[in-house]
Amino acid sequence: MRRGTCLALAGALAFGAGPARAELYYLIVGGLGGDPVYAESFAESTSAMAEAARRTVGDTRVTVLSGEGATREALEDAFASLNRRLAAADRLAIFLIGHGTYDGTDYKLNLTGPDIDGAAFAALLEQVPARNQLIVNATSASGAVLETWADDGRAVITATRSGRERNATRFAEYWANALSSADADVNKNGSLSAQEAYDYASRSTVESFEADGQLATEHSEISGDIAQGFEVSRLTARVTVSPAVAALKERAEDLEEQVAALRLRREELGDAYLPQLQALLVELAEVQEQIDAAAPTQ
Amino acid sequence: MRQGAQIHFLLPLIPGIALVAAPARAYEIDYSADRAAELRACDAHYFRGRRAEAENCFEALLEADGDPRIRAEAAWALGDSNKAFIETANGIFREAIVSYPEDAAARTRWGLLFAYTRNATEAKTLFDEALSIDADYAPALVGLADLAAEQFDGIARGFVDEALSNDPESIGAQLLLARMELEVGNLDSAEVSIDRALELIEARNLPPVEAYALKASLDLLRGALESPWIARALEYNPSYGDAYAIPAYIFVITRRYREAIDFYEHAVEVDPRNWSARTELGVNLLRENRIDEAYDHLETSYNLFGYDAQTRNSLILIDSYEHFTVELFDGMTTPRGGGAGVILRLHEDETAVLTPYLVELINRSIATFSERYAFTPEEPVIAELYPVAADFSVRTAGLPGIGLLGVTFGYLVAMNSPRPGLDGEFHWGTTLWHEMAHIFTLEATDHLVPRWFSEGVSVYEEWSTGPLNGRHIPSHVLQAMAEDKFLPIAGLDEGFIRPTYENQVIVSYMQAGLICEYIATQHGQQALRTMLEHFRAGDDSVTALEAALGITAAEFDERFAAHIEAEFAPTFANLDAWMEAQSAMLQHANESNWTEVRGPAESSIALLPFYVDEGSPYLYLARAQREAGDTAAARATLTAYYEQGGYAPEALLQLARWHLAAGEAATATRVFKDLLQVAPLEAAVHAELGDLLLETEPVEALREFEALAAMSPHDEAGLKYRMARAHLALGDRDKAREQLLYALEIAPNFREAQQLLLEIVR
Repeated sequence: MRRGTCLALAGALAFGAGPARAELYYLIVGGLGGDPVYAESFAESTSAMAEAARRTVGDTRVTVLSGEGATREALEDAFASLNRRLAAADRLAIFLIGHGTYDGTDYKLNLTGPDIDGAAFAALLEQVPARNQLIVNATSASGAVLETWADDGRAVITATRSGRERNATRFAEYWANALSSADADVNKNGSLSAQEAYDYASRSTVESFEADGQLATEHSEISGDIAQGFEVSRLTARVTVSPAVAALKERAEDLEEQVAALRLRREELGDAYLPQLQALLVELAEVQEQIDAAAPTQ
Repeated sequence: MRQGAQIHFLLPLIPGIALVAAPARAYEIDYSADRAAELRACDAHYFRGRRAEAENCFEALLEADGDPRIRAEAAWALGDSNKAFIETANGIFREAIVSYPEDAAARTRWGLLFAYTRNATEAKTLFDEALSIDADYAPALVGLADLAAEQFDGIARGFVDEALSNDPESIGAQLLLARMELEVGNLDSAEVSIDRALELIEARNLPPVEAYALKASLDLLRGALESPWIARALEYNPSYGDAYAIPAYIFVITRRYREAIDFYEHAVEVDPRNWSARTELGVNLLRENRIDEAYDHLETSYNLFGYDAQTRNSLILIDSYEHFTVELFDGMTTPRGGGAGVILRLHEDETAVLTPYLVELINRSIATFSERYAFTPEEPVIAELYPVAADFSVRTAGLPGIGLLGVTFGYLVAMNSPRPGLDGEFHWGTTLWHEMAHIFTLEATDHLVPRWFSEGVSVYEEWSTGPLNGRHIPSHVLQAMAEDKFLPIAGLDEGFIRPTYENQVIVSYMQAGLICEYIATQHGQQALRTMLEHFRAGDDSVTALEAALGITAAEFDERFAAHIEAEFAPTFANLDAWMEAQSAMLQHANESNWTEVRGPAESSIALLPFYVDEGSPYLYLARAQREAGDTAAARATLTAYYEQGGYAPEALLQLARWHLAAGEAATATRVFKDLLQVAPLEAAVHAELGDLLLETEPVEALREFEALAAMSPHDEAGLKYRMARAHLALGDRDKAREQLLYALEIAPNFREAQQLLLEIVR
């Protein structure tokens, strides 16, 4: 199951033992703003996303192209560099902020200098060795690439549902907020999956239009099975643990899986559900208590 | 009705009100001297109630291959009973204009057809075109005046005066002037105009029924229970429903909705096809919460005449009630004893969140005003809140006073819902308090209270007993005061109903509030009660004032002016300097030059320390201080802002959090609670307030979390955990445990919930 995959992956990351572990890399592109209001907004969103990324993986695996530096050449160079560094087991998260256009046939991401169209960008994605990818296109008209950029092992999030939603989007700002928001962490595990971040950002966008009494000019979309299990941001720093704690964590993960399995039987169990749930949760809490006593909070 | 201080913000909330607010009107008499004799012959049948003869007459003119101007008029007249002819009339008028391009009368009449079908924009264009052909053409001026008068725009009077100057024998101008005078209670002036119009009507042997109906309106406004003029109108035309509908409309403008309903019912009995009277009947039944009856009449009207937006919108509004909940809360005991209860009509999405706050505030206002105005509500108070601004605007359509935030129709209060989130320039608690005060002044006087006094008491009560500190007088009102723009008390109603300059309505609200405050301060609260008693007895403002205060209106105006000068002299003296400082502050802020913002912001605060409304310098200074990293100073600035009555929700939320961070839980709690009067639909406020109240007021904490639950927050696990803590604080370990299980079911790694669960089970 997806969640189990995520937990196993997280566990591997936390233990830091054995052969080179799968790493998460980020490429964040803040495209051309044009109008100073948009330029400032895009820059702020780009910066906030970069901050969340660095908090999650450190500085060396985060590439940011912004404003004047966000050229096609720089973008292609960034992809080339990533292709040299990434292994198949690694993961890549790409965030695109700025203006996009759609002429009925082709989507284009506005960059400083020549733009890049959807097909060319898809071709760049094809070259990336990482098997698990998350592409968040927060630009206007981004819905035009929702299907064309879809692929196995790839989750695609777009700020609009089609190329015809052409207004500058609010989604970028709320995606940036989501990456650092405890409220977005619905399962309280200290990290955000792509699905959690998307749900939060999407809801925030809808609510912002409602608060303004306006009809929404954008409707975000998500595709790809891996979104649920793709950890896109951590809210707290990760630490390395001892083998004893590692064993406790393994027990905790096992209990979480049992909770997840029990939830699926809720209707069937009726009144017996809550007592069984309590038993698992109490044991899980006791295991966590031991982990906390033995290791720093993570 | 409460006027928002920031009117430029409010206008977008009432889209289209300028065009659809007009009261429904039926086919009217054409008094112009250039109406063709052939048409007059048909009119003679029509306005005598001989419908069949009139229809035959008009049909013959329509079918004849004659002057398109006559044929268009004939089609229009037939359209009053068969709306299909309206389009025919429109088409023939178009031909007529082509054939007679220089005929001002034809363009004017076509414009009146557009006005009849509620298209004010096209109507105005045609009236303007007529005047460009003949600048003195009185009927076109009357057309413009009528359009403006329907919007309660003060320019109406100018057009009427010009029409009469060009044509002193313009019957239409005289009758329109009479209506306008009746609306503001200038009964003697109205009588002069009506009598002059009648002379002219009789001299020209034209139908007198409209003038008779206005005479009846005059009698009724003078306190007569009946008027012989209605009988005279019906004698002339037994099916003239407007004999009742015209006085009914005057009742509506003077807020006597029950009398209006009675008269509109007579109107439709006399003339069942009078769609405009039916619409007005439906709208006013809605104001009395008689929804099913309202719907029936509105639907009938719509089927008779489908052009009226108010009819259509009112039907749509009633249909939308399927998404509203209606709940009765039993009456509380007021100091005077008894209490008829509260009915809330709220959108189903808002019911769970808003209900406890609304009930609390309404009950508190009833207790307060019962004591202060010696009147106990005899029926349940009904409060309706509309999350969709367009729905609320349907409720206020046809009423004078733009930019309304709330409206009261007797025992029924309607207002906009608070906005979701922190986007609130609308203090719903104050608005509701204001509207609740209206219930008392209206019902204590059987709706005979003049507009200015009812508004004045409501504004005064906002300032003195309401949920918000301080008086909130906008800067442009202070400017108007400095320019001595207050009206004499005897004419203050005109400032509300026929404003003659931009913002005069708000100026009038503030003047009325200051007057009531002055009366209460100088002569005691009893003086206000005495004036209410006199209004109930049918006395006008001057008589009531003299009886309550023992001085003439002229003396009052002098003393009040002196009081304003004495109290506000320092403010007036500082106003120019304040505006300069504000301008400099805003310019620096627009350039994000926060260091430079500080100086002018501090000056501005020193000059007018009470100013906390739009563009308040407190907010800019606090921002500048934050930008400089001086959080302590920013907190002190926002504290001062809050104490002066500032309520910008983002600022209050930040202030509450700062107080909390500084360990001042009690102050933080107070700010959070006040924040609910502006932003009750912001989840963070309920969550953080609830957290604060857990130890000291766990029942209130649970209420906050229940409100939060009603908002379906994103963080469900967090909500369940909060509920668990509240139950635990109330001693219910089982409920607490259950909520924790639900929290951990969603988020098994939720540390705090895990720890609390272990605490409970061990």
